[in-house]
Amino acid sequence: MTAAPTAPTNATTAPTETPAQDLRQSMIDAFFQAVDDGVNLAVVVSDSTSTAKLAPFQAAHPERVVNVGIAEQSLVGVAAGLSLGGYVPVTANAAPFLVARANEQVKNDVCYSNTNVKLVGLNAGVAYGPLGSTHHAIDDLSIMQGFGTIQILAPSDAVEARRMFAHAFAHEGPVYIRLDNAKLPVLHEDGYRFTLGEPDRLREGAAVTLVAVGSVVHEAVAAADALAAKGVDAGVVSVPSIRPLNRPALAHMLRAAPLVVTVEEHSVHGGLGSLVAEIMAENALGSRLIRIGIPDGQFAKTGPRAAIRAYYGLDSAGILREVQNARATVA
Amino acid sequence: MDIASLQNAARTVRKTILRTNARAGQGHTGGDLSETDILVTLFLHVLNLPGRDPQNPDRDRFILSKGHGVCGLYSTLATAGLIDAAWLDDYLTFDSHTPGHPVRQKTPFVELNTGALGHGLPVATGLALAAKRQNRSYRVYVLVGDGELQEGSNWESAMTAAHYDLDNLTVIVDRNTLQLADRTESIVGLEPLADKWRAFGFDLHEARGNDIPDLIRAFEATRTVAGKPHVILAHTRKGAGVSFIEDRAEWHHRIPTTEELERAYAELES
Repeated sequence: MTAAPTAPTNATTAPTETPAQDLRQSMIDAFFQAVDDGVNLAVVVSDSTSTAKLAPFQAAHPERVVNVGIAEQSLVGVAAGLSLGGYVPVTANAAPFLVARANEQVKNDVCYSNTNVKLVGLNAGVAYGPLGSTHHAIDDLSIMQGFGTIQILAPSDAVEARRMFAHAFAHEGPVYIRLDNAKLPVLHEDGYRFTLGEPDRLREGAAVTLVAVGSVVHEAVAAADALAAKGVDAGVVSVPSIRPLNRPALAHMLRAAPLVVTVEEHSVHGGLGSLVAEIMAENALGSRLIRIGIPDGQFAKTGPRAAIRAYYGLDSAGILREVQNARATVA
Repeated sequence: MDIASLQNAARTVRKTILRTNARAGQGHTGGDLSETDILVTLFLHVLNLPGRDPQNPDRDRFILSKGHGVCGLYSTLATAGLIDAAWLDDYLTFDSHTPGHPVRQKTPFVELNTGALGHGLPVATGLALAAKRQNRSYRVYVLVGDGELQEGSNWESAMTAAHYDLDNLTVIVDRNTLQLADRTESIVGLEPLADKWRAFGFDLHEARGNDIPDLIRAFEATRTVAGKPHVILAHTRKGAGVSFIEDRAEWHHRIPTTEELERAYAELES
């Protein structure tokens, strides 16, 4: 076995007093910052200005906003054209309509043509819980991984979201950012540096490693707290960069744990759980893996998001239960 | 370039298409020949390509939305001296500069990787909007097949292009009335096609699409109308220029045999 490269650790504790922040506000802040920094930004929406909380930016920079109407194929195609015309376009609309309706435009006009388009999938997972599967996006990470060239990112808090957008605008090429609409506590200190590709170790812990992506990182952190209270030493790794991913670094983080649990508001097929399973198999880690998410071959249930998370064991209580059951089975 | 020279170039392009498809043993002969006069008119007469530089930000942009007509595009680019004619010898071979649909990373003056239908107009709309918003002078031309207009994405972007008054955008419809399997009007009818474009807010011009002087007239007519995107309904014949290929659905995919190639050359040289 070759030694895995050491990844930077952002082992910060959750600053409990920090108020929860809407990641969309980070996005809008990043748009303003990009324009100030001289990025030739164009924000492209499909009647999704309210979904994206775009009003302040649109008021300040109306000439940088393009609304194509309720037309997602046009949204992505027009963004690709704006890119070919010298803009750095960023699309912002609900993730289910981006990845499903405009799938071929994402594949060909953005990924295959390698245009400099940034795609923001708003309110992915089951964020639109009661609105049903038309509005859920539990396949976006899987679908995007099927395409070449595109970077696939998902921040877990406002600090990370801001850094991630700064990266996206500096990078020449397609980027997908899965952006949650939940108000999320801040997990990272202001000095946090998002490093493309690096898994983000939030907690050390020997008994179990919880691996999560996006807003459910907070469920994993809460579950780790609950486990600690019961004397179980749980580690937490967030994977903000699905592609590229420093696989040796993630394998290194998982190597010591007898039990690995992945947590994703996504199908367990083709998302984080599948990725971790590949890495564990390819590195012959041999430890047990439990993947929590929407089971393969199913649409998610409809209802309040918290209820959906509880049903699939995606909340902190569910993660705690899975870990305790698994440990009881192993013991 | 004078009309006779353009017509001569079109004959060269047609021969190149036939020879290249025959050598490759594969291709879209009918569609390549149908669009030939449109491409020759564009690349040798209409398009402004400063310094013939494929990276010049002020170059006019052309998108071949009917990406299967790629051999017609390569043959035109080679005849115009914009790509190396030797690349045609590698048409469809592994990792070549001339793959079976346009790839911008492989071939200069290809702006978008097309092949799936209904993608050119939305991207052309974005390109034209980028020019408007940045006060750039380049114009955007997109060639769409007629069967391709069954794709709804075209009409999404037609609305958008009209909404943003993109008079620097010109759509050319290769109206040869045939799609893969049959006549467009037998599959899902497009008519009244001119009325559709007008209703979507376009400045519409009709032209004989295999008649270079008439195409030039139509392109010039688009320049006289401001505030609207333009469309040229180019009435073409699939397989135009070769009598036994013209207007036959089976030549969508067929390639000429050696004997057919000789007959076609004889017709084109007569």
